[in-house]
Amino acid sequence: MSPIHNQGYRRYVGERAASGRAWMVIASSGLRSLFGRRVFLGLLLVSWFPFFVRAVQIYAAANVPQASFLAPTPAMFRQFLGQQDVFVFFVAVYAGAGLIANDRRANALPIYLSKPLTRAEYVLGKLVILAALLLGITWLPAIVLLAVQIAFAGNLTFFRENLFLWPAITLFSLVEVLVVSASMLALSSLSNSSRFVGILYAGLLFFTSAVYGVIFATTRNTRFSVLSFQANLERLGDAIFRQPSKYASPWPLSLLILVALVAASTWVLERRIRGVEVVA
Amino acid sequence: MMEGRTAPTVAASALRVFDLSLGQMLWSRRSVFLAILLGAPVLMAVAIRVLGARLGPIEVNGRAVNGAAVFGLMIWLLYIRFIVPVLGVFYGTSLIADEIDDKTITYLFTRPIRRSAVLLGKYLAYLASTVLLVLPSVMLVFFLVVPTGEGSLGAAFPSLLADFGMLTAGLIAYGAVFAFVGARLKRPLVAGLVFAFGWEPAALLLPGYLKRLTVAYYLQALVAHERPQDSPIGMLLQVFREVPPVGTSLISLALIVGLALWAASRAVEGREYVLEQ
Amino acid sequence: MSAPVIAAEGLSKWYGQIIGLNDVTFEVPPGITGLLGPNGAGKSTFMKLATGQLQPSKGRIAVLGQTIWGNPSLYFRIGFCPEQDAFYERMTGLEWVAALVRLNGADETSAAGAARRALGLVDLLDAADRRIGAYSKGMRQRVKMAQAIAHDPELLILDEPLAGMDPLARRKTIRMIKEWGREGRSVLVSSHVLHEIESMTPNILLINQGRILAEGNVHQIRDLIDEHPHKVYVKADRTRALARELLAQEDVLSLAFEGEAVVVQTSKPDAFYARLTELAASGVHGAIHEVTSPDDNLQAVFEYLVK
Repeated sequence: MSPIHNQGYRRYVGERAASGRAWMVIASSGLRSLFGRRVFLGLLLVSWFPFFVRAVQIYAAANVPQASFLAPTPAMFRQFLGQQDVFVFFVAVYAGAGLIANDRRANALPIYLSKPLTRAEYVLGKLVILAALLLGITWLPAIVLLAVQIAFAGNLTFFRENLFLWPAITLFSLVEVLVVSASMLALSSLSNSSRFVGILYAGLLFFTSAVYGVIFATTRNTRFSVLSFQANLERLGDAIFRQPSKYASPWPLSLLILVALVAASTWVLERRIRGVEVVA
Repeated sequence: MMEGRTAPTVAASALRVFDLSLGQMLWSRRSVFLAILLGAPVLMAVAIRVLGARLGPIEVNGRAVNGAAVFGLMIWLLYIRFIVPVLGVFYGTSLIADEIDDKTITYLFTRPIRRSAVLLGKYLAYLASTVLLVLPSVMLVFFLVVPTGEGSLGAAFPSLLADFGMLTAGLIAYGAVFAFVGARLKRPLVAGLVFAFGWEPAALLLPGYLKRLTVAYYLQALVAHERPQDSPIGMLLQVFREVPPVGTSLISLALIVGLALWAASRAVEGREYVLEQ
Repeated sequence: MSAPVIAAEGLSKWYGQIIGLNDVTFEVPPGITGLLGPNGAGKSTFMKLATGQLQPSKGRIAVLGQTIWGNPSLYFRIGFCPEQDAFYERMTGLEWVAALVRLNGADETSAAGAARRALGLVDLLDAADRRIGAYSKGMRQRVKMAQAIAHDPELLILDEPLAGMDPLARRKTIRMIKEWGREGRSVLVSSHVLHEIESMTPNILLINQGRILAEGNVHQIRDLIDEHPHKVYVKADRTRALARELLAQEDVLSLAFEGEAVVVQTSKPDAFYARLTELAASGVHGAIHEVTSPDDNLQAVFEYLVK
C-alpha cells in the first residue's frame, strides 16, 4: 500500500438510495434546517397554545359539573381547526416561502437536478417539508385532542357517537395542507426572494378576502365567498364537519375552486422547476 | 486625487440615495405585484360601474346604496385594512433587506455618507413610489364608483382629498414602522405580517390602552367614511368604537414615524450586515 | 519607514461560534500588498473589517491612521471592489458608477465625468451606456473596479478582482493595478490564485484559518523557510547513479523517482545546489539536463505555510 494518500476525486462507494426515494433527502434536510432555528421552534410552540386551552376545556367539562357547558362537540373540533388557520398562515410563510425561492436565488436548482433526483422528487421533497409542518399544527393537535377527550372522559361515548370526526379531521387537514402547500410552493417557484413570495401569499389570502368583504358589505350576499381563498376552505371545512356554514355558496363549487388552485399550482411548478432555463 | 471632499449632509445624502433607489423600486418585478394590488380595486370599480349602469343601483336589504358609500367601503376594506399595511410591510421591511439579499449594500455602505442617510433615502423612495401609485388608483376608483347609485362627485370630492391625506399618512406611518422592523430583524417579513395582520386587528378589539400601540388606531380615526359592518366583529367595533380626535391622531402618527425612523437609523448604524456567501 | 495604510492589533472577528479572524497583529505598508489564502481563510472577513462593514469582535484596526467602523468620511480616501457579483442590473455602467460617485458628494456633471474617466481606465467606455445586466462576467468585474477608482482614492481594497476575467482582461487588470501602485496609491488585493498575486507584487500577507501566517517580501519569507525541507527535481543521463550519490549526503532527506527524473528532498538547499553544480561540472553521472524546484515559487511558499 502506498504511504502517499490519494488526494484526488474518489468515487462514492457507499450504498445508493433506491430510485424514487431521493425526495426523502430533500425533505429530511429541509426539516432539520428548520428545526435548527429557535424562532421557528417558538412559532411551533405558540401554534400549539390553542390545543392546551382546548385540553383544559375538555378536562374541565369532564371533571367539573359546573363546566359541563364546555363539553366538546363536533363544532368545537371544527372551530379548533379554524383557529389554527392563523398559525397555518404564519408557518406557511416562515417555512414555505423560501423552499424553492432560496434554491433559485442560490442557483441550486441545476445542481439538484443534475443528481439522480427527478423534478417530481424535488417538488415532492419540498412539499413534504411544508405539509409535515402544517399537519403538525392541524391534524396532529386535533387528533390528540380527540384522544385527550377519550382519556379525560374515561369512556368512548363521544368518540362512538361522532365516529365521523377522526376521518373529518384527517380529510379537512389533508385538504387544507395540500392546498396551502401547493399554492405556497408554486409562488415560491416564481421568485428568487422569499420575502416577495411571503407577501404574494399574504396577498392571495387577504386580498381575496378583502374583495369578498367589499362585495359582501355591498350586497350582503355570501355566495360571493367563492372569490375568497380562505372562505372556500372554510366552506369546505363546514361541509366535511357537517356543520352549518355562514356562506351560502355550494361546497362543491368551493371544492372545485380549490382543486383548480392545486392544478394551477402543479402547472406552475411543472413550468418553473427545471434544471435549465428554457428561453424560447 | 479628487478635490473638494466635503461630506454631504444626511439630508443631501438621503436625496442622492433616493435618486438611486427610486428607479430600482419602480422598475422591478415586484411592480407587477403593485400593479395587481392597485389594479384590482380599479377593476372592481369598473365592474361596479358597468353593473350599476345595466342593473340599476345596488340594493342592500331593499335599500339603494349610494356610490359614495360603496367607495367608502372600498377605502376601508381594501385600502386601509389591506393595501396600505401590505405595502408598508413589503416595502418597509425590504428597504435594507433587499440590498442585503442582492448583495448591493456594500456599495452604499462604503461611501462617505451615514448609513442612516441610506435608510432615509430608500424610505423616501418607498414613499414616492407607493404614494404615486396608490393615490391614482384611489382616484380612479372614486371617479368610477361614486357616480353609481345617484352619487354626486362634487359632494364627495372633499372626502377624496381627506382620503388622499389619510392614505399618505398611513403609508408614511406603516413604512416607518416596518423600516425599523426590517433594519432590526434578520427575517422581518413574518414579524411584519404578525404586527399588521395579527397584533393590530387583535389589539383594536381589546379594551384599555393596548390599541394605542397600533398604527391602525390612529389611522382609522382619520377615515371620513362610515366603518363597514362586514362581520360581527365589525359591528362590535362600530358600537364600542373609541375614536381619538384628529389632532391627537396626527400627533401620535408623527411621533410613531419619528420614533420608528430614529430607531431604524440607530439599528442600521450599529448593525453588521453579513452577506450570505 | 512610512506609516502603514492598514494596521491591525490583536484583531479578531467571530460569527457566533465560527472564527473568521483570530487575534492577528500586522501592518500593511504603502504600495501594493497581496492578501493570499485559500478559500475560507479569512481574507474577505479581513477586507470587510478593513472597509468598515464589520466591527472587530476584539482588537483594533486602523485604516489610513483612523478607525474605520462608523467613520464614513474615511471612505473619501478608500475605494473598495467587493468580491460578490452584485449590481443594479437595470442601470447602465455609466449611470451606476456616476450614481455611486454622487454619493461621494460630487455634483451630477463632475460625477458623470469621473465615471467616464474610470470606465475609460478599465476599458469599458464603449459599453458605458449598456445595461450592466447585459455585461459579460469580465465586464462586470471591470465595472466593479471602475466604481472603486472613480472617486480617486488613496487606498484601493480589491477583493478577488481577477475572478472570472478572461486571460486578456486579467493581464490588463494586473497591469492597471501595478500602474496604480506606481502612481503612489496603495492597493490591497486578495486572491487565492498565487501566480496572480506574484505577478502584481512581491509584498504578501499570507492568511489561513483566520491567522496571518507570514507577511513581507515573498523572497524574504522564502529565505526564512529555507531551512525547511525543499524539493528539487533533477533530470540527468544517469539519474539512478546520481540518486545513489545524493542519498549518501547528510542533508538529503528523501528520494523519489518520477519517470526519468529524481525528486530530492533536502534540508539545506544552498549546500545541495552547490554540490549539484560540482557534480554537473565533473560529468561523473553524465549530463544533468534539468534542475527545477517547485518550491521556488510563491505557490510553494504558500503550500508549505498552509500545510
